[in-house]
Amino acid sequence: MIYTVRHRTTYSYESRVPFARCVLRLTPRSSATQTVMESRLTVTPEPSLSFERLGPFGEATTTVVIEAPHEALVIESHSRVDVHTAPSRLDFSAPWEGVRIGALETVDLGPEGPAGFIYPSGRAVLAGPITDYARESFWPGRGIVDAATELMGRIRRDFTYDPEATDVSTTPLEAFLARHGVCQDFAHIMICGLRGIGLPVRYVSGYIRTIPPPGRPRLDGADATHAWVSVWCGDERGWLGFDPTNNILAQDDHIVLAAGRDYSDVAPIDGIILSPGKQTLKVEVDVIAQTEPAVARPTFGSR
Amino acid sequence: MPADRGSYPAALAPLDPAGADRLSTWLRGYRPLAGIPDELFDASGRPRDYWLHFLSDLADYPAGQIRGRFNLATRHIRDTGVSYRIYGEENERGWPINPVPLILGQDEWSRISSGVIQRATLMEALLRDIYGPGDLVAEGALPAAALTGTADFVRALRGVHPPGGRYLQLYAADLARGPDGRWWVLGDRTQAPSGAGYELENRLVLSRAYPNLYNAMNVERLAPFFDALRKGLASAAERVDPRICLLTPGPFSETYFEQAHLARYLGFLLVEGDDLVVRDGLVYVRTIAGLKRADVILRRVDADFVDPLELNAGSHLGVPGLLEAIRGGGVSVLNMPGSGVLESKALLGFMPKLCRRLLGEELRMPNVATWWCGQAAERALVRSRHDLAIAPAFNGRDRRDPFATPRLMSELSAAERTDFLGRLEDRPGDFVGQEVVRLSTMPVLRDDRLEPAPFVLRVYAAATPDGWRIMPGGFCRTSDQLDVRAISMGEGARTADVWVIADAPVERITLLANQDEVKVRRILGHLPSRAADNLFWLGRYLERAEATLRLVRSLCTSLMDAEAAVHGEGETLTKLEELLIAWEALDEEALGAGALDAARPALLDGEAHGSVITLVRRARRTAASMRERLSADFWTLLLNLESGLTDPNRKLSSEADALQQVETALRILAALSGLAQENMNRTAGWRFLDMGRRIERGINVCRFTRALAHPEATTDDLDLLLDLVDSQITYRARYLVGLALTPVRDMVVLDPFNTRSVAFQVAALRDHLAALPTLVDDGMMEPPSRLSRRLSTRIETTLAADVDPEFILDFEDSLKALSNALADRYFLRGANARPTIKLVGLA
Repeated sequence: MIYTVRHRTTYSYESRVPFARCVLRLTPRSSATQTVMESRLTVTPEPSLSFERLGPFGEATTTVVIEAPHEALVIESHSRVDVHTAPSRLDFSAPWEGVRIGALETVDLGPEGPAGFIYPSGRAVLAGPITDYARESFWPGRGIVDAATELMGRIRRDFTYDPEATDVSTTPLEAFLARHGVCQDFAHIMICGLRGIGLPVRYVSGYIRTIPPPGRPRLDGADATHAWVSVWCGDERGWLGFDPTNNILAQDDHIVLAAGRDYSDVAPIDGIILSPGKQTLKVEVDVIAQTEPAVARPTFGSR
Repeated sequence: MPADRGSYPAALAPLDPAGADRLSTWLRGYRPLAGIPDELFDASGRPRDYWLHFLSDLADYPAGQIRGRFNLATRHIRDTGVSYRIYGEENERGWPINPVPLILGQDEWSRISSGVIQRATLMEALLRDIYGPGDLVAEGALPAAALTGTADFVRALRGVHPPGGRYLQLYAADLARGPDGRWWVLGDRTQAPSGAGYELENRLVLSRAYPNLYNAMNVERLAPFFDALRKGLASAAERVDPRICLLTPGPFSETYFEQAHLARYLGFLLVEGDDLVVRDGLVYVRTIAGLKRADVILRRVDADFVDPLELNAGSHLGVPGLLEAIRGGGVSVLNMPGSGVLESKALLGFMPKLCRRLLGEELRMPNVATWWCGQAAERALVRSRHDLAIAPAFNGRDRRDPFATPRLMSELSAAERTDFLGRLEDRPGDFVGQEVVRLSTMPVLRDDRLEPAPFVLRVYAAATPDGWRIMPGGFCRTSDQLDVRAISMGEGARTADVWVIADAPVERITLLANQDEVKVRRILGHLPSRAADNLFWLGRYLERAEATLRLVRSLCTSLMDAEAAVHGEGETLTKLEELLIAWEALDEEALGAGALDAARPALLDGEAHGSVITLVRRARRTAASMRERLSADFWTLLLNLESGLTDPNRKLSSEADALQQVETALRILAALSGLAQENMNRTAGWRFLDMGRRIERGINVCRFTRALAHPEATTDDLDLLLDLVDSQITYRARYLVGLALTPVRDMVVLDPFNTRSVAFQVAALRDHLAALPTLVDDGMMEPPSRLSRRLSTRIETTLAADVDPEFILDFEDSLKALSNALADRYFLRGANARPTIKLVGLA
């Protein structure tokens, strides 16, 4: 399936900003599950300096420095990505305890190795109640894919999707206790649960198709960047994406931007500006599956 | 221990019989634990010569004199504000120093040095591999998961060459003497080892307390080490005459004092994150003369916090873009961010093997046996043995976690043990098991008794172009409990100086550098904007405290002054109270209260924004954040000012008491301004302190004059005004006729010869601004200068008859505008140097 993604972020400032420096993680990269056919990033006003680099977890980053005084900063990315159909998934997955031990013994210190994702991180602080919640799906000897799939389903069932209930600073435990949240919260909860029992798991940011195929419901999280997790399922299977917000495996509906330990590693924009004033933020994301009939005017979602 | 250990060589016996008695009492009463080595005695159980030398000399002082000398020396410590702040706590805790140093002989010391140098070399090699090719992990010598459990593993810097050519500038090892008499490594400090500054202070105290002994015993000096450290840092820079900054987390850091002290001692600029900016791949310090390049940064901020753009986005301590500057080679940051990864206990057990592999040698000093539970065999061993301690494998774990600090397996309750085994099952990589080491002891002197105390010794190594250099001394911490295992030592209760005894007399080190190396300079770099800001506000707070004190003084005297009583003190009292209320030194409800009831809160109400104590505390806090710029005397006076006001022994039960309190405080303030005038170099820093004072004084005189020299003013009002503005004597001398409105206004507002007048402050401000650097050399006047010139012209050309309340109010507003213009131009918070704020995040 080929997707066209438009993602526009607009910062409006109360007073003129003379200087800004940002790290952008808005460019998808090709991998086994997706091929990036086209991708460009536009920043207004024109940056005085802009360069690209791979981030610590292999994500594409663009650093921009803006020295032209400005009252608004617009960051817009466009890409066309071919998302591959995942191989059929017969579950011959390894018992989860073996995966845990394997991650401790790995000789891979690289960005994709499981060792980087077994410990708590800044926004994924382990919490007893979440660990105990996850443990219910992980009985001795159970296959990792099977167990993680069940956990994903339970999160979808037990939690209410509610954009008003949480914000970017809500901790996983808060969202867990409130049984409310958005994709970011559900991803963090699943991460804390799995890491609580020693399993390697990543936070993935990306997009999900905006307009569902005929006859299928609209997916939650479609009007902004989306987040889900990928779980290390052993050396054979590698990383496998689970979307607890929608209770589906991340397959041909999901376009990956970046993966890291938690939201902080993959935040689409990290930036600083010199300014004494207030700022407002508007995000518009639009993901269109190319094989679908053209829509007269794409509707921008925003939050 | 042999029974006759009280007998020491006669040659070393003190001459004074009283001293001899004392020494033998000390030695007889000294009872180290059996089976644990003690520093005082050698392997055969005899007191070591150098200890005897020290103790007999000490015993020779008449009883009480030791304490006297030592107290004198420690008072110096207290007065200069040496402190060790507990994290998050406002108040500072003193760090008591043992009157007895840890004394080590030359042989012992060479063994320690050689072991620490080897370990430092090993650490550097490890970092080179971990952040470079990663062979150790790929080839199975080191599990990846033994590295990734800490935020100090900075993945973003893998593959980045350290700009100065090395990862470590300063390394420290925590050592203890094991039961076998050998020295053991308890842990490695590779992030930003603290304590070296405390050792400098400890040395200062002991060498003052026992100057003769210090010289007679050939104690190795510390200065050459710090000189080597400085040269090592300078060698990491591209430029020949580099600007070296010490990056501190700020005054709330628990070792802030030490950082300030080191910065001053080494001649480095003490900076916080927002003092620095990254532009075009280079790092700059924001100064009042614009951006100035920072070549080398001695880092005391934890790695995860150094760059909010790439690392912990919530950090306010770092410099956005710093990692990018490091990648480009534009700045040397030492120790390199990420070096702290080696502090994890998870790695200790691998060290013997890694040393063989990387250096081809055995470890010269063993570490405490440690088993990382991420490995199957080690995990099984830890599970089965009850004589071990368990500890977190990585630093930075949740402090509320019962297993966040080391615990003895044998001391866990049944429930805790079950809990631990469950945790070990869930997340084996989080824990290590460690052999329990009981610490050896050294003598400390308490209440004229010599007692053994367990200790830990931190030894430092500095990288120089000629290799590692060891500090001959160290940071020694002792415990107050006799039976202590290394794991429960914590931070220790006291510190001790560490004396390394040379075999030959120590050369008198003069730190005079080679003539050619020293460029003559009169000003040490440019004043950072933050320091300018702090100095300015220190000046304002001190001046405002003084003005408030004068108000309170008048309040107290208004009753006692018979003359005032005749003229109806009620009115004056009300006016003073109104002024204090407008000042926020008093609550509105206090209006109409008696003099004492108003004076008390105006002086001491910590809740009131404008009370004397609040202002003094603000001044002290402002000063605390730039202690390296203030002289010890200045700091001492400031501390005295506060402690004098809050002294619980001074009761304010009458106006006379309050008056005395006020007079004392005013005298200290006068001493402070005297110090600033006479002892501060006439550099930009002094100008900002003085400008703060001048602006505040100008504004205060305007306010007093508006309130008291209004068209219907009585002679009492004018009299009071002259008191408040401290111009009583000048006026009486000049005008024999008595008080009249116009001459009073002239004297307090327009008179350029009266040091308390508005005109005098304005002229001083104008002169200060003319002497400060400009940003752009285009011949145009900068806004603060323009404003101050306008003010001074205006005040010079105004006639006393035209000075009315409206004129004064307008003038007061202009002074406030000038203050804002100064902030805009020179300070971090000003509009032209806007603060850095984070872009809000996306969900």
